[in-house]
Amino acid sequence: MKLGWQNWFQEKRFAAQWERAKEAAQSTPIADYYNDLLPTDQHLEDAPLIALDFESDGLEENAQLLEAGWVAVEGCAVKLSSARRLRIRAESKLQGSAVVIHRITDDAAAEGQSERDVLQALIADLKGTAILAHAAVIEQSFLNAACLRCFGVPFVGRFICTMQLEDRWFPKDRAADGLRLGKLRAQYGLPYYRAHDGLTDALACAELFLAQCARRQTENLLTEDVLMRA
Amino acid sequence: MEVDEVVLFLGRHAPFDALSADVISALARRVEVRYFPREAMIIDADKENHALGIVRSGAVELRLGGTELNHRLGEGGVFGYPSLLHHERTRNQVIAHEDSLIYQLPKTDFLKLLDDHEALRGFFAKDEAERLRLAVEGLRQSEQSHGEAAMIAVKLGGLVRRNEVVTASPGDSIREAAKLMTRADVSTLPLTDQGRLLGIITDKDLRRRVLGKDVPLDEPVSRVMTQDPITMSLEDDLLSAMLIMSQHNIHHLPIVNDTDEIVGVISSGDLLNRFGMNALQVVAEIEAAGDAAAVARAARRVDAVLAHLIESGVDADHVARFVSNIGEATHRQLLKLGEEQLGPPPVPYALVVFGSLARQEQAGGSDQDNGFILDDGYDERAHGAYFERLATFLCDGLNSAGYVYCPGNIMATNDKWRQPLAVWKERYRDWIDRPDPENVLNTTIFFDMRCVAGKEELVDSLREQIFAWSSANRIFLSFIARAAAHTKVPLGFFRNFLLQHDEKEGDVLDLKHQAIAPVVDIARVYALALGLSEVNSEERLKKAAELDELSGEAVSDIVDSFEFIRSVRFRHQSEQIRQGAAPTNNLSPALLSRFEREHLKDAFRVIRDHMDIVSRKYAGNIQ
Repeated sequence: MKLGWQNWFQEKRFAAQWERAKEAAQSTPIADYYNDLLPTDQHLEDAPLIALDFESDGLEENAQLLEAGWVAVEGCAVKLSSARRLRIRAESKLQGSAVVIHRITDDAAAEGQSERDVLQALIADLKGTAILAHAAVIEQSFLNAACLRCFGVPFVGRFICTMQLEDRWFPKDRAADGLRLGKLRAQYGLPYYRAHDGLTDALACAELFLAQCARRQTENLLTEDVLMRA
Repeated sequence: MEVDEVVLFLGRHAPFDALSADVISALARRVEVRYFPREAMIIDADKENHALGIVRSGAVELRLGGTELNHRLGEGGVFGYPSLLHHERTRNQVIAHEDSLIYQLPKTDFLKLLDDHEALRGFFAKDEAERLRLAVEGLRQSEQSHGEAAMIAVKLGGLVRRNEVVTASPGDSIREAAKLMTRADVSTLPLTDQGRLLGIITDKDLRRRVLGKDVPLDEPVSRVMTQDPITMSLEDDLLSAMLIMSQHNIHHLPIVNDTDEIVGVISSGDLLNRFGMNALQVVAEIEAAGDAAAVARAARRVDAVLAHLIESGVDADHVARFVSNIGEATHRQLLKLGEEQLGPPPVPYALVVFGSLARQEQAGGSDQDNGFILDDGYDERAHGAYFERLATFLCDGLNSAGYVYCPGNIMATNDKWRQPLAVWKERYRDWIDRPDPENVLNTTIFFDMRCVAGKEELVDSLREQIFAWSSANRIFLSFIARAAAHTKVPLGFFRNFLLQHDEKEGDVLDLKHQAIAPVVDIARVYALALGLSEVNSEERLKKAAELDELSGEAVSDIVDSFEFIRSVRFRHQSEQIRQGAAPTNNLSPALLSRFEREHLKDAFRVIRDHMDIVSRKYAGNIQ
């Protein structure tokens, strides 16, 4: 799908947000991130991507982040040498459900680094990339909220959402949970992974993305073809 | 921090499972993950290759030269390493057979891994032959490290009690020798002259050759001794000693040192005491059997012997020889009992066996293939009834003993295979001079023959004649070579299927017909082409190498393949026996271990290559 007027409008709005955030971030630890913006008109194969997944104690914007896992995708290959998984030290008591779902206890969470340090490491790797996530709006809002908390500036970046991509490229009637990561992976013949570890989910999402692009069978996909749309 | 899923996966699959957790963890971080939809090209032929491929999910197909289906790999399969090891361009095309997730390990990381970890080198050894050699070595080592005994490792030197050998001179009287044996309480007396062993006499000899024949006791013992007995050295191993004893039906072996001085005598009893249930015991029981039923009872224990030998870590070649020795002893004893019942044969004759027993390559569950070669003085009217009854006694006895009637009726009871030497020669001449493509497959078995009882000269004479004809007849050789190249050796395995030519997937592996027979066929072609008197396949191949017909390296490759395939067969037969089932040659690929699959695939490859060589060399004369 070529750039329609909605996309043109969205790109304009994104550029304005980017510039505002860049301005605000000056002299903060993440200022450098805004020095490099991934162009949208290059071949997807040439675009550095980072698959990212946060573990948290809830889904609302102010949820406590517990862990970040990420891994780079370059030239249609997941580079495991870039894989990282950082625990985040909990600032307050964890919400009960997170303990059950993520098997992360207060003790384990207390061992991690500060949210600020983890964010700095992550955002350094995100520079000049597009961020790949399943239901990327969640990662987007977590990143934004965390940056506001830690550095007082918003986070603006390019996102690719494998959930949205599936629905856009291969639309069909699905069960309510038909777009869940595990279900989609199974449809692509990808192996079953134990869910809910930040890095494993990031890897799982990256592999799904490679599979989606392969099945799409489009020559010369551009970055703009896969970016998350509003 | 670990990439958990990748680490877990590598740790579950060979060869990475041999690495420590730390190494696997570091290795996982070098991996790049790619996805290939069905039909996508993963590696093209004749290109640079930069990475080792590991199938994480899905399946890939390796296509040699870009055409013929060559091999298929499922989850955990590893590909693309020959080009990395040789620093050369790729030979195979690798195509995704299903949607596949592939781990790629960059070349430099792969080569470094091999440098650092010797354990992996065997797995990625340069070619099939080298991998097989390492596998066979590994099997022998692991076999020796378990079981009640490592018979191969035990040297006779460790069993012989030295400095107590009682000897006499061949010139001594029989009486003196017997008294000496009684005084020293020995059942065997070596007879030496100035330390050199000239003969041996045993209790049994005194009974049979002296008392039984009324030989005066004042005669020199040399008159009744066994001259030039078979000896072994202190360096020989226990297994070889047992094999010699069961083969020649002897119970004592003089042991000599480097300078041929006798240092001890080892008896079958010594070996039995040490190893309990074994082949010697069964052979001894067969030879002591007073009627066909007793022979059958003893011979039926061959299965237990087979299982025991396998568990004791004996290699396939030796197991086959022991099993064959039991088979031979059964034939011999039945014939002896038959002659006792029917009286001595009216004319000389030989019992000839064909096929695996002739080659001393018998496994469990064999049927019988035999015939009588009668002296040319045979007169049908006068002698026919005798040999027919003898043959019936033999073949019925063999059937009761577990060597079931030959489905193709190749038995001495069939008068076609109970004929004077001249008729046998005529029949072979016909096969050789007028080879029939339809029939050549059915006649190959007759070119593996051995005399197990009776007048050996009859069989020798026939064999000499056959080889003189066959080695001179290129057309006949080309028929035999074409028949040898005819078998479809499998390509490998894919999940629980056997990959065969024409993309068919089989679910049963017939080791005898699909892998063992082709090696036997190859060896037979060389034997016929070169006029070799050897019958055993390994010996035929080694002899062919001595005559420079093929390289020593080629022979050791194919012998390793043969050993490996037969070891797989024996292992599965011993498992069947242990579970109370009759041993067979068929097995489901699902029962094969990963190790067996990998190396069977290598062995198939070696065999296919050699079939091509034989075919090029000898089958070229027609068409």
